[in-house]
Amino acid sequence: MDDIYLVTVVSNIGMISFIALSAYLLLVVGEISFGQQAFFAVSAYGSGIATAMWGWPIWLGLLWGALLAGAAALVVAIPTVRLRGLYFSVATLAFAEMVRLIFEIFTYQVEIDGELVGPDGSDGFRDIRAIYDSNVSAFEYMLIIYGLLAVVLIGFLILERSRLGAIFRMIGEDPMLTEMQGLNVTVYKILAVVMAGVVAGIGGALYAHLATYVEPKIFNVMLGVHALAYGLIGGLGTAFGPLIGVAIDIGLLESIRAISGYRMIVFGGLVALLLIVRPRGLLDEAAVHWLRGRWRELRRATH
Amino acid sequence: MVDFVQNCLDGIMLGSSYALLAIGFTLIFGVMRRLNLSYGPSIMVGAFVGTLVYLEFKANALAIAAATVVGAVIVGIYVERLCFRAIRRGAAVASMVSSFVIWMQLEEIVTVVFPDRTYPFPPLVSAAPVELGPFFFKVENLVMFACAAAMTVWLHWLLQYTRFGLALRAVSENPRAALFMGINVGAVMFLAFVIASAFGGVAAYLIVSADGQITPLFGLWATFKGLIAMMLGGMGSIPGAILGGLLLGVVEAQSIWYLGTEYRDLSAYFLLFLFLVFRPGGLMGQLAVEREQAAMRRV
Repeated sequence: MDDIYLVTVVSNIGMISFIALSAYLLLVVGEISFGQQAFFAVSAYGSGIATAMWGWPIWLGLLWGALLAGAAALVVAIPTVRLRGLYFSVATLAFAEMVRLIFEIFTYQVEIDGELVGPDGSDGFRDIRAIYDSNVSAFEYMLIIYGLLAVVLIGFLILERSRLGAIFRMIGEDPMLTEMQGLNVTVYKILAVVMAGVVAGIGGALYAHLATYVEPKIFNVMLGVHALAYGLIGGLGTAFGPLIGVAIDIGLLESIRAISGYRMIVFGGLVALLLIVRPRGLLDEAAVHWLRGRWRELRRATH
Repeated sequence: MVDFVQNCLDGIMLGSSYALLAIGFTLIFGVMRRLNLSYGPSIMVGAFVGTLVYLEFKANALAIAAATVVGAVIVGIYVERLCFRAIRRGAAVASMVSSFVIWMQLEEIVTVVFPDRTYPFPPLVSAAPVELGPFFFKVENLVMFACAAAMTVWLHWLLQYTRFGLALRAVSENPRAALFMGINVGAVMFLAFVIASAFGGVAAYLIVSADGQITPLFGLWATFKGLIAMMLGGMGSIPGAILGGLLLGVVEAQSIWYLGTEYRDLSAYFLLFLFLVFRPGGLMGQLAVEREQAAMRRV
């Protein structure tokens, strides 16, 4: 019993990490998105429809969900990416709420084995059973989640050492100066939004199949703002930041259930105090730089 | 045709509550240039203080309204100190996330202190709707509309004709230059926050007393309606906040009538999205945005 509970909590940390990483990528290019939950939702529905209604295999459903999320991100990015600051943030919020409200009225059902399957407006989308039908245990599914998370994380770490990563950080520091370097800021920003959409989409597809049931109100703005907060708590210096944020929130708070009724009172206060001392999170750019320096010294000393 | 006009009137009445919320929002944003997500939740706490006074002392409407405003102002000061003053300049995202976690904190405090979730709130007036030809007006909405108008006029006087207003506009324009002119920027920001919270308290009292009940969800509702109305009108513009609120109200009323209740929020967000894409400055703030875009193009 406890084991299943633990596996569920750890799986949740993994899935939420995807959306936190997706919000983090946009924070790196200097944009705040309140709307990453939209791509999470699009992929959750899309992959659920593919596996439960069209009978696709899980891996193809996941891929399809992630691609669909990327396509949705492209559609939002093109008109909104030239907006700056709060205008972009509110545009993403408006888009995400539109997506959620469309799912509230979106009905598409087919009859499979005498039962109606498919999204049914605000009643949600039941019976996304692909992982249970193919006998994947909860523990195995957790390993799949963390395998994919590891792939995405390695992708982020490679990105941060690459030219593209440097351009992203430069845009985050000063888009005008970046433009002066002869780089097309708009194109790079669209790329960042699409990449972030795909990452959120992977999380959404995984979520739909673990929960077997999705409903529009899961994907409300609270999910998106939490995702944003995780990056800022953990730190904007490295892709490990958002993961630390998620682990602190879900892991720590679930483990101290004694204060369950008061957890946000304590946690909210602590985070507010943390942001005063470290406005760019625990592992901010300076901290990461310092850690890299120490690590290099250590390696030199041992050689 | 009568339907359409009646919907417009309903929308304007509904919109005056959005306008009230947007005024406080835009005042804080205009001065701080930072988004206060805790705005709705802090006036929600104010409304719960009002409920407490009502339930404990059976107080009259004036005392309840006063308690609501005082509660909203005290929580507003807490938010200002913790999320805005204490966080250094340039870290606007940190302020916003900080105001978000404080929102979560306030909501949980309210649910711990008031475990029943829904509480009664006494109405300010209980009169039958006024009939004017084929049209109906609800009295509480007329009061709301009158208050929004009065607050706008007072705010206009404060901003345009007093020394404090001049200081506030200077800070809003350029905080550093204002500092060099000997303006106490911190104090101006603090006072702007207090005024906005007091306005929020009045708005909360009027809206909640018209509804007759209060739940912790009011915080979320107030933050988002205020935010949308502010963006439609143009950030930082007070006449814009009023127009944005009224526009939002009319659009919602029309879509409830012609499309159905489930399209109410959808059309509001759709309108907001269209505005942001084609006219990001909203109804009244287009000039500032265009100036910035022109600067960007020159580069």
